[in-house]
Amino acid sequence: MPLDFDWYELAEYAALGLLAGGLQALIALGFVLVYKGTGVINFAMGEFMMLGAYFFYTANVMWGIPALAALILSLLAVALVSALIEKAILRPLSGQPVISILMVTLGLASALGGGINAIWGGGHTYEMPALLPRTPLYLGDVFIPGQMIWSFLLAAAVILVFSLYFRYTATGVSMRAAASDPTTAYVLGVDVRATQRLTWMFAGVVGAVAGIIVAAITNLSPALGGVALGVLSVIILGGLDSIVGAIVAGLIIGLLESLTAGYLGGKVRDIVPYVIVLVILLIRPYGLFGTREIERL
Amino acid sequence: MRNTDHPVNIPRRRAMAAGLGAAALSALPFRVAMAESGDIVIGAAQPITGVFSFAGVGLNQGLGDYCNWRNEQGGVAGRRLRYISEDSVYKMDHEMAIFKKLMGEYKPPFFFGGSTGWAKVAAKEVEPLNTTLTSGVGFSSELADPALHPYHFIAAPTYVAMGGILLEYISSKASGSSKPSVAIVYSDTEFGRDPIPGIKARAEALQIPIVLEVVTKPGAVDVSSEVAKLRRAKPDYIIFHGYVLAPIPEFIKQMREAGMKAIPMGTIWSMDKTTVSSMGAAAEGWVGVMPYRYSYETDNAPMMKEMADYVSRTYPDQGYITLFNTHTWFAGMIFAEIAERCINADKALTGENMKQALESIENWDTGGIMGLPASLKSHQIPIGRIYEYDVKSELMRPISDWIETS
Amino acid sequence: MRIGDFRESYEHDEAIWPTRVQRGWLGLLVLLLLCFPFGVNGYVAGVACLLGIHIIAATGLNIMTGYTGLISLGHAAFMGVGCYTTAYLAQRGVPFILVLPLSGLMAGLLGVVVGLPSLRIKGLYLAVATLAAQFILVYVFREWSSVTGGVGGVTIPAARLMGFELRNDHSVYFLIMPVAILLLIAARNLFRTRVGRAFIAIRDRDISAEVLGINLLHYKLAAFAIGSFYAGVAGSLLGYFYRAITPEYFTLELSIFYLAAIIVGGLGSLLGTIFGAVFMTLLPELLRVSVSYATQWAPGATSVLSSMQQIVFGLLIIGFLVFEPHGLLEVWRRIRRFFHLWPFRA
Repeated sequence: MPLDFDWYELAEYAALGLLAGGLQALIALGFVLVYKGTGVINFAMGEFMMLGAYFFYTANVMWGIPALAALILSLLAVALVSALIEKAILRPLSGQPVISILMVTLGLASALGGGINAIWGGGHTYEMPALLPRTPLYLGDVFIPGQMIWSFLLAAAVILVFSLYFRYTATGVSMRAAASDPTTAYVLGVDVRATQRLTWMFAGVVGAVAGIIVAAITNLSPALGGVALGVLSVIILGGLDSIVGAIVAGLIIGLLESLTAGYLGGKVRDIVPYVIVLVILLIRPYGLFGTREIERL
Repeated sequence: MRNTDHPVNIPRRRAMAAGLGAAALSALPFRVAMAESGDIVIGAAQPITGVFSFAGVGLNQGLGDYCNWRNEQGGVAGRRLRYISEDSVYKMDHEMAIFKKLMGEYKPPFFFGGSTGWAKVAAKEVEPLNTTLTSGVGFSSELADPALHPYHFIAAPTYVAMGGILLEYISSKASGSSKPSVAIVYSDTEFGRDPIPGIKARAEALQIPIVLEVVTKPGAVDVSSEVAKLRRAKPDYIIFHGYVLAPIPEFIKQMREAGMKAIPMGTIWSMDKTTVSSMGAAAEGWVGVMPYRYSYETDNAPMMKEMADYVSRTYPDQGYITLFNTHTWFAGMIFAEIAERCINADKALTGENMKQALESIENWDTGGIMGLPASLKSHQIPIGRIYEYDVKSELMRPISDWIETS
Repeated sequence: MRIGDFRESYEHDEAIWPTRVQRGWLGLLVLLLLCFPFGVNGYVAGVACLLGIHIIAATGLNIMTGYTGLISLGHAAFMGVGCYTTAYLAQRGVPFILVLPLSGLMAGLLGVVVGLPSLRIKGLYLAVATLAAQFILVYVFREWSSVTGGVGGVTIPAARLMGFELRNDHSVYFLIMPVAILLLIAARNLFRTRVGRAFIAIRDRDISAEVLGINLLHYKLAAFAIGSFYAGVAGSLLGYFYRAITPEYFTLELSIFYLAAIIVGGLGSLLGTIFGAVFMTLLPELLRVSVSYATQWAPGATSVLSSMQQIVFGLLIIGFLVFEPHGLLEVWRRIRRFFHLWPFRA
């Protein structure tokens, strides 16, 4: 490299990428939770994110409820919706082949998206109140926007809370047990059905938090749902059922995207996640930390 | 698929049979009454719902309003205008289906449609028919090419022309011998990418340096890396194109936090007052090119006043009239002008005659909608003015004269 | 009234339309299809053309997903490949009789490439791989301007039949309909051969199929190739129909549309494909008509049209999967059974 290489530029892109990766890891956590609990990739995750953001907007801006209470209210609402969806749609389909469940999540995405459009208007863009402090950080020539830092911290906090929950609480452990071996968990008295419902509720809540953060950074419009598709590369790289994988892969992909945007331009940035997906599926399909599926006849 | 047995459920079966029967019946074309002879039909496929509904509602209203207003004034050479529109949800398949349906039933001499994709496919249909002129909300320069799309026109400047107007304004702001530097931020869509080569060529002709080109996804969330690049390029002006709102506010906010003094500029779709107001704090200093006056600028603009009066009469609660209304009102004016010229010259409303009438519109007084007399020889009108957003009054105010480019 | 099956020879058993009554109905159908465009206006002819294109594409997807169990979320991209190949060849004067199979072949080849991972991955992972392929292919469509015209898209010269240009929907119909019938019969025949049965075996239990001697990679790639071939031909016909196309047509949404069509119609069945394609194509029209009627009682109804379409689409998929997983085909079969056994059983 030439001696006048702009190290600050590299540092800036790297820092920004890692911070953005935190948010992606949060969304990936939602995917991983659903996959661990019910063996499905939830293609409706984007719509859960939107629901969280729109509920928060309604509570906070349209009804005037203060931010923290509005947050709790909207998370509860999303949890309720997730529970209903699990009960009404996914429970009857348990045991069906993969394509049915995949299509059901796609259908759910469409129905939820349409519902949101019908209630809040598909062409409108709402401005979210500034939830995250904007004071930026200057490290020499490196400029880091405040919202990036706070979104990373928030995402990290949520991921930490969930990791601790799964590790140390009784419910968390029984959820892990039900995910890994439902039959034995039944035998040991774990209510497997309830854990599956709880998994979906948690995933919904995680998605809702991520959605609120994303909406606070950009604004509130139906385009919010598209963010979730890009996170597919994170879960494939990390492994569909690994929380650690989601974190590590989120950071890596965030870093890669930022570096490509910085050095190769925005057009290439959009395609990078999908190329990564293909490459990983060819080389190491179960990702960095995923469990290898062994099929038994 | 696993073979799960479902019990025969008679009510369910009947319901499904009834539903399927209804679906089959409803698929048959509904013959609507044919247009009265003598009426000039204007057909339209507008995105009244869907992602473009913020524009589509206004687009739909504007054209319908103009037709009603014109009929109140006696119509076009005694003939009434009749406006028939349907919701296209901004999907090309729907736009084409509506187009074919309306063409089949009414053979309208004028049709207003949506995306650039639709305009190109419609051009293929319209050419052999020789009955219709089309216009739409896609302002790509390709559509205004009389050789490629002879029966299509744009009731506004093309995106390249808009960029040209911005550049001429920037050029006029030069102090000394060097010109201000410009960065272009655009979205990776057909809308965003279309004018970029044209804009770069014009910048070169005006000797304005383009220091950076940034491409983003249309609804990008994380723009921090792009802002980092912009910071290093240090442009004086930044032209945003290909977006309606997002991610412009985030760009501007981060730029301001990073201490950048560059002036952000936009093209027509980012210039509606409601859009700009929703940028919040970032709207301060927002500049852009608008081909029309705003609806509240009725001084020395008799047609603007007529439109504003009509709207306040018919929709007393409306208040601000969006630029989408203005655009289709204006398109309606052009349709009516073409029809009038043909009828007065005793020519039938065929595609060829209407095209000639269209191209004969030169030095045409638009009644104040545009600040200079318009000419449609090149199937577009490259006139515009630079406006700036005034945070206190929440209105867009003109900061330049009317500029006509090529 | 036909009671039971009574086959006397192998040919009779394998025939698609064994009885004379069935062949009679078939002849009537063919006659109807031939005479259909003469009595209708351009709009209905256009819908019929689009229907034909959707049926071909959905058949290809059903071969891949319904019969072989390989989920593909990238079907629209293969249509795009076919369409752009058509544009490229037709602009250079190649007659449509060559362009159609060549476009299909191009799509089929790309299908093989995309299907290569299917040796290592299956099910959900394969679906994600096809999703990635969908985005990458669309990216290529937008960037490779020299061949695909970039974001501006391409124009396709009209098909020429004996010096006659097929310029309006009525004439293009006579290009699309025979191709659709031909491809449907080909698909039906495919599943009377060894290859077709291998596909079904792979879907049911691929490891057991391998034990039985079916070369998994070989047949999986064949499934991808054939399914993509159909998509390519459908895309080619789309090109001749619209005669101008932009890359924004071939979205993930379109891929999901086809998946929905085969699920609603019935996976693993050609008749189901036809039902599904017809239903999904006519659904937006039906919705639009009903919404415009509903505005008489509820004036705000039009503002929810697009959301209604999304909601109904989603609810349909969910509804069929939960209540009628075998799709419209099962409904049809029940109706047929009823009439076969009438008046002995209600």
